[in-house]
Amino acid sequence: MAEQHFVVIGNGPAGNEAALTLREHAPEARVTIISRERGGCFRPHFLPRFVVGKLAEEDLYLSSAVSYRDKGIKLRSGQEVVSVHPDKRKIILDHKEIISFDGLIIAVGGRPRIPENLMVFGDLMLTLKTVQDAKVWIRKLNETDTVLMIGGDLTSLSFTKQLVDVGKKVCFALNDDAFWPLRFDRYLYNQVAGRLRENGVEVLEYSRIRGMSLLSDGMIEVNTDYEKVRAGLVGAFFGLKPDIAFLARSGLKIDRGILVDEYLHAGFEGVYATGDCAQVFHPDLRDYWVSIGHDNAVALGRTAALNLIGERVRAEPDMACIFDVQGVQVNSSWWMEF
Amino acid sequence: MSAVDVTIEICGMSGDGTIAAGGLLNGALSAAGFSVLAFDSYPAEIRGFGRCVTRTRAGESEMMALADKTSILISLDDEQSRSRIPFLRDDAVVLFDNRPVVYVGEGQSIAAHLEPKMNPFGIPFGDLAAEVSGARRGRNLTALGALAALFGLPGNAFHGAVKRKFQPKGERVLDANLKCFDAGYQYCRDTFKDRLERISRLGSRDKTGERELLSGNAAISLGALDAGLRLYFGYPITPATPIMEYLAKELPKKGGAVMQMEDEIASIGGVLGSFYAGKRAMTATSGPGFALMTELIAHATVAEIPAVIVDAQRGGPATGLPTKTEQSDLHAAVFGGPGDSARIVLAPTNVSECYYYTARSFGLAEKYQTPVIVLTDFFLDNRVENILPPKNRPEDIENGNVYPDPSKHGVYRRFEDTKTGISPRSIPGTEGFIFRTTGLEHTEEGFPDYSSANHMKMTEKRHRKIEGALTDLPEPVEFSPEGNLDLGVVTWGSTFGAALEAVQRAQGEGLKVGAMKISSIYPYHSDSIRSFMMRCNDILFPELNYEGQLANLIGHLFNKEVLRFNRVTGLPMSATDIYVRIRAIVE
Ligand SMILES: Cc1cc2nc3c(=O)[nH]c(=O)nc-3n(C[C@H](O)[C@H](O)[C@H](O)COP(=O)(O)OP(=O)(O)OC[C@H]3O[C@@H](n4cnc5c(N)ncnc54)[C@H](O)[C@@H]3O)c2cc1C
Repeated sequence: MAEQHFVVIGNGPAGNEAALTLREHAPEARVTIISRERGGCFRPHFLPRFVVGKLAEEDLYLSSAVSYRDKGIKLRSGQEVVSVHPDKRKIILDHKEIISFDGLIIAVGGRPRIPENLMVFGDLMLTLKTVQDAKVWIRKLNETDTVLMIGGDLTSLSFTKQLVDVGKKVCFALNDDAFWPLRFDRYLYNQVAGRLRENGVEVLEYSRIRGMSLLSDGMIEVNTDYEKVRAGLVGAFFGLKPDIAFLARSGLKIDRGILVDEYLHAGFEGVYATGDCAQVFHPDLRDYWVSIGHDNAVALGRTAALNLIGERVRAEPDMACIFDVQGVQVNSSWWMEF
Repeated sequence: MSAVDVTIEICGMSGDGTIAAGGLLNGALSAAGFSVLAFDSYPAEIRGFGRCVTRTRAGESEMMALADKTSILISLDDEQSRSRIPFLRDDAVVLFDNRPVVYVGEGQSIAAHLEPKMNPFGIPFGDLAAEVSGARRGRNLTALGALAALFGLPGNAFHGAVKRKFQPKGERVLDANLKCFDAGYQYCRDTFKDRLERISRLGSRDKTGERELLSGNAAISLGALDAGLRLYFGYPITPATPIMEYLAKELPKKGGAVMQMEDEIASIGGVLGSFYAGKRAMTATSGPGFALMTELIAHATVAEIPAVIVDAQRGGPATGLPTKTEQSDLHAAVFGGPGDSARIVLAPTNVSECYYYTARSFGLAEKYQTPVIVLTDFFLDNRVENILPPKNRPEDIENGNVYPDPSKHGVYRRFEDTKTGISPRSIPGTEGFIFRTTGLEHTEEGFPDYSSANHMKMTEKRHRKIEGALTDLPEPVEFSPEGNLDLGVVTWGSTFGAALEAVQRAQGEGLKVGAMKISSIYPYHSDSIRSFMMRCNDILFPELNYEGQLANLIGHLFNKEVLRFNRVTGLPMSATDIYVRIRAIVE
C-alpha cells in the first residue's frame, strides 16, 4: 500500500495534538502540519503573561519548531492554506503549491472578531491572538501607561488583570455583545463589571463606541455614547470567530464553524474539523456546540486524529470549566446560545 | 564579531538575472557603508545552463572570508534554490516568488523544504514586475526591492546601483528596472508591516572613506595597468579569463595591446619577448595553462629575462575542477619546470593585495630579471570586496631595470657574476652593449658552457640573486599576542581570511593562538617565520590542497612535525572548520 499522507491545517493546541496522535498511532503514515504561524505550537492563553513580561518567549511554546523533525512530523511553518478541495483530496497553499492528502484535519481555530461598526477603526486598535500581536503590544506598552479595552471577552479580562498588575492604567468600555458567540446576561455582566472595578479598572458601562481618532501627540481619542476617553492604546476584545473564510467554496458545511458530527467528521471521507473552528453536533441535544478553550482544543484534536485512523471516539462536551476569570466561572466548553 | 554580519544569497537559473542582482546588491550594500565580500558560483561547463548562486557577506568590520551559513536567501528559482537549504541558518529568512506562473505540485516550491524555524516571505516577484514593467523579467529587481524593505536597507543606495548599471542601456531600461525595484519595496512595506519587527534591521553604516567594489581579477588588471603594462598575451581559461577581458577594454586606451595567442606557450613566449625588448608584459592563466608555460619559465630563469605570470589556481590536477577553487599549484609555481629554476612567487590574500602585488611584480621582475608568479585562486579572483581605492605607487611604476654602467661600453658581460647575483641588463639594440643569450647554460658573456665549474657558479649566482630579492618582498605578518602560544596557524592565499577569522575567534575565547600570513611564497623569510614558529607549541597549516604544499615547503623550519589541515572540496576554506581544528588541537 502506498504511504498515507495525513495533513493537519493549523498548529494550535488542537492541530498539534492531532498531529502527535496521528504520529503515535499511524507510524507508517506521512504527517504534515501546515501552520500560518511561524515556529512551533504556542499556547495562546500564555500571551497575556508574556506581554507584561512575566513569561519568556520560549516558555510560550508547547514544542519547539525543530522538535517536529525529530518526531517525524513535517511542520511547514509560516505557510497558509488558501483553499481546500475535500472531494479531490487536495489543498492549495498561498504560494500556489497543491498538496494531496489521504486524511485531513482542519484545526484553524479562530481569529479576533471585530464588530462591523468598528472595522473602520481597525488600524487604531490592537488585538491579541498571535505571538506577533503580543510583540506589538509589548513595543507599544513601552510607550504608554494608559490602555482602553473595548469589548469584554474572556481574553480581555485575563489580560486586563495582567496589565493592572504591572501598573498600567486600564479603562474598560464593557459591552454586552462581547462574548460572541455567547450573550452576556445581566448577572454575568454585573459580576464582571464589579470585579473589574475592585481591581482598580475604570469601567464605562454599556458604552458604545461612536468614533476614534489619532491625536497629534500619539494618543487615541475614543468617543462613546456618553464621553470622550483618551488612551495611549486601544485593545479590541470581542471574542474569536472561526477562521474559516477560506473554506467558503470548499463544499464543507459551514455555519458559525465547520459543521461536523459527534465524531468530528466533516462529511467527506477522511476530512475532519476540530478545535475552535469546529461546530460539533450533539446527538442528545440534537444541536451543535462550539468549543473555546485550550484543554477542549487538545481533547478535540486527539479525538479527530483517532477517528481519522479508524477509531470511533465521540467528542464529549462535558469538560469542566476552562476559564476562571477572576473568580467568575464561565463555562466555555460548550455554548449552545448563538 | 561585529554587530551586523549578514550573508545574503541569491539563487536562480542562469537567465534569471541572478548574477546581475548579486552585483547590484553588492553595490548597494557598499554604498550603504557596509564592508562587503561576495563570491558568485555558476555552472562548471557552459554559462547559460544551470544554477547560479551569488553570496554576499556584509557587515560593519572588515569582511575577510565567507560565512558558512547564510542568513537570507532570495530564491529566483525554487528548484535550484532547494540545494541551498543545507547552507542556511536555522532562522534564515527566505524570500521566494509565491505567485509562480502555474500551480506547482507538492515539493516544487522551496517553501516545502524549509525548516520550521526559518522565515519564509512569499512575494509575487514576477507578477509585480509584470505589473509595472510589462514583463516578468524584472523579478530580480523586485526581489531586491523586497529585501531592501524587509531589512530597512536604504532604497537610494539600490537606486544608485541600478542607475550605474542600467543608465548606459537607455532611459527605458533604467526606468523599468527602477520601477521593478520600487514595486517590490512598496509591496513588502505594505504587506509585511507587522512582520518587519521580527527581523533585524540592517539600516546603513557610517562609511570609512569612499570604497570601490573590485574583484580579485579586476584588481590584478588594474594593478598591471597602473604599473605601466604595455602588452598582454593570453589564452582564455577559467578563472583567469576576466583579466584578459578587462585589459582588452582598458589597455588599448593607454596605448597598449592585448593579444589572444594560440596557446599558453605562445603567451609566455610573447611576455618574454616583450620584457626582453624592455617593455612590461604579462600573461594570466590557470593550472593547465601554467603547466604548458613551465619550459619557457625555466628558460626565462636561465636566460634571466623578466616575466609576470598570474597563475589563477583552480581545482586540479590537469583540467580538474574548472570552476572550483583550490591552492594546489604551489609546488608547480615554486618548482615547476626543468632544472633548478628559482623564481619569485607572490601570493596575495585579498583583493587589495591582488592589486598591489601585481603592480609590484613588474619592478621585481625587471630588477631581478626573473619570472614573477602571482599565485591567486578561483575564490580570490572571483570574489568581490569593497576596498579603499588602490593607489598607484611611484615605486611600482618606476622602471626596475638595472642597466649596465656606461663604462662597460664595449666590454659588457651580460651575465656578470656580481655580489648580488644581479647582472646589469642592456636592452637589445643598445650600442656598445651587444650580448648573446641562450637557454643553454652559459658563461658570464653568454657563451654556452657545460663545464661543471661554470654550471655550479652560474646556478649559485641565479639562486643568490633570488634569495637577495627577499629584501624587496612582503614580510610575513603576525597576528598574535606576545609570549608563547599553544598554536600558530601559518597561512597563505585566499585561505588567510578564514584562518584569521578562526584565530581571532579563538583568541576572543581566551585561547593562546596566533596566525602568520605568508605572502612571499618563494623566496620566503626563513628567519621571521622560524622565530614565530619557535614561540608556538604546535604549528598548523590550513590549505586548500591535499598534499599540504606550503607545509611541505616551509614546515622544516619548525623543530617538530607540523600539523596540517587540508581540504579539497572545491570550496573556499571555512573559518568554522579551522576554528574547530584549532580547538581540537589546543584542548
Ligand atoms: C490571548 C488569549 C488568551 C486565552 N486564554 C485562555 C485561557 O486562559 N484558557 C483557555 O482554556 N483558553 C484560552 N484561550 C483560548 C484558547 O487558546 C483557544 O481556545 C485554543 O487555542 C484553540 O485551539 P485551536 O487549536 O482550535 O485554535 P488556535 O489556537 O487558534 O490555532 C489555530 C491555528 O491555525 C492557524 N491557521 C488558521 N488558518 C490557517 C490556514 N488557512 N492555513 C494554515 N494555518 C492556519 C492559525 O494561525 C493558528 O495558529 C485564549 C486565547 C487567546 C487568544
